[in-house]
Amino acid sequence: MTTSFEWSLPRGSIISGKWKQGSYRVERMLGEGANGKVFLVERAKYYYALKLGSDAVDLQSEVNVLQSIYKQKEKRGAKPGLFLVDVDDYRAADGKEYPFYVMRYIKGKTLSDYLQSQGKEWFPVVLYNLLGKLAELHEAGWSFGDLKVENVLVADYGRPELVDYGGATAFGKGVRQFTEIYDRGYWNAGTRISDARYDLFSFAVLCLKLQEGRRLAQLSSGLLPQTRTPDELAKLAATSAALKPLSGWLRKALYGEFASAREAAAAWQQWMHKSGAPSKASAPAPRWLKGLFALSAAVLATTIYLLLRTAS
Amino acid sequence: MRQILLVTDGCSNVGVSPVVAAAQAYAAQITVNVVGVIDHGDLGEFGSSEIEEIARAGGGLSRLSHTRQLSQTVQMMTRKTVVQTIQQAVSRELKQVLGNTSIEELPPEKRGEVVRVIDDLTETAKLKVALLIDASASMKPKLAAVEEAIRDLAISLSSRQGSSELAVFHFPGSAYGEDCMLDLDWTSNISGIHSIFPRLQMRGTTPTGPALLHVIDFYQKADYGNRKNDGTDGMMSDYVV
Ligand SMILES: Nc1ncnc2c1ncn2[C@@H]1O[C@H](COP(=O)(O)OP(=O)(O)OP(=O)(O)O)[C@@H](O)[C@H]1O
Repeated sequence: MTTSFEWSLPRGSIISGKWKQGSYRVERMLGEGANGKVFLVERAKYYYALKLGSDAVDLQSEVNVLQSIYKQKEKRGAKPGLFLVDVDDYRAADGKEYPFYVMRYIKGKTLSDYLQSQGKEWFPVVLYNLLGKLAELHEAGWSFGDLKVENVLVADYGRPELVDYGGATAFGKGVRQFTEIYDRGYWNAGTRISDARYDLFSFAVLCLKLQEGRRLAQLSSGLLPQTRTPDELAKLAATSAALKPLSGWLRKALYGEFASAREAAAAWQQWMHKSGAPSKASAPAPRWLKGLFALSAAVLATTIYLLLRTAS
Repeated sequence: MRQILLVTDGCSNVGVSPVVAAAQAYAAQITVNVVGVIDHGDLGEFGSSEIEEIARAGGGLSRLSHTRQLSQTVQMMTRKTVVQTIQQAVSRELKQVLGNTSIEELPPEKRGEVVRVIDDLTETAKLKVALLIDASASMKPKLAAVEEAIRDLAISLSSRQGSSELAVFHFPGSAYGEDCMLDLDWTSNISGIHSIFPRLQMRGTTPTGPALLHVIDFYQKADYGNRKNDGTDGMMSDYVV
């Protein structure tokens, strides 16, 4: 897949909107995909992520999804943080107009990078938090659809955020975008009709991908289409040292036996507590402790900043 | 909405030109998409330009695909074509209501409403896809992948809210002089079917054009019974933009 515009924007470029005149200074490119390029931009000292697309209908469709998720969360009395900041069109140097939207910048690493750099001991809590994110979305009536390693960014202290809502689908409709290996249909485990279980299936594959990536790839390329079943995935989980304690949970997710992400999260939490914090007494200066120091340093810095500001 | 998806790996070599046949399909409000299956780069320049021409005449898309990506390619083309067909219908409607305005020129809020309508229709409009499979000798090792792609497409179609049906043909037919054969009549569920292509006798000719005409005919026969077909006309009547 390639995007239909090949140029990029150098640092310092200004992207300004044709309708609302909002203007953003490009810092760097964050990533690109089938539907566009995402830039880190700055406006009035704040950083945002700006997605520039080439197809107005595709991009608008994503914007619509973000807007209706926001409205539904609001209706349910939740106070959703504003994710979508601005929507407009940009006239580029080539004379063409490109639609864009501006969203909250998530300063984080992709899920696999995060676990690699911070250590696998973060796996239980990060994935637990991710289940919470999914539950929130489900309670607004949407599935995420294209849940995969690349679409989960993890900020400090294991706080995950979902990015790329191109696959998000209202419950009851056909999932708009998915990736084969995470897809319930591909594994002959059900339809592509959007529901909470669809995401939970992908979530289980995500766990396999994180812990047994190579074996998962071998499994899917080694099986014939008819023999791809959730059972094969469950077997893989049961024979993995890292996933064995979780294999009961994974089996339920793969077979669609959790009624909701909340229920799945509660079961996950039970497992997390039962297995206890994996801290070993002998470990010198555990990572979480370092994290704590970093946190108090940050708090200190903020306090000083506030003091200085009120003083001036 | 009506589509034909042609899956082939070479050039037509008998009968009416497939480009002319595709133009006829388009005239009958059937969009023609073409996938060229390449496993060892065996389509050749001639074949690639032919599939491009067929798709252009048929108002659809053409793609080259390795058998490994076939499911994804078929999936993507079908969906994209649905969106495009609806987008065109909606644009026509817009022009009538607002004068010479394209979707891109609308301010973001209005654009949002129009795209919501497009997305709704993409999910709910009636859809028929006839798959036309080249079963000439060189395709034999690729038929397993073709069958998998058809099954995968069927899962997606049956997950739509709108009624969706597919039919499968292969060409040339088994008997001499037969351009095309029906393997699977319109259905919305193929999970019970064990094998879509039972024991094909592979023959050397590739009558792509005649086979296309055959499928157009098949569509039109089905139309006699239920007039007011599932074209895009009247699709917008539920919406006031
Ligand atoms: N809000 C954000 N904050 C930080 N980084 C982001 C944000 N949104 C997107 N990115 C980065 O940009 C990349 C591309 O974005 P995105 O996945 O939305 O593009 P896409 O065109 O929809 O891609 P795909 O082909 O996966 O559909 C992401 O993988 C991510 O790394």
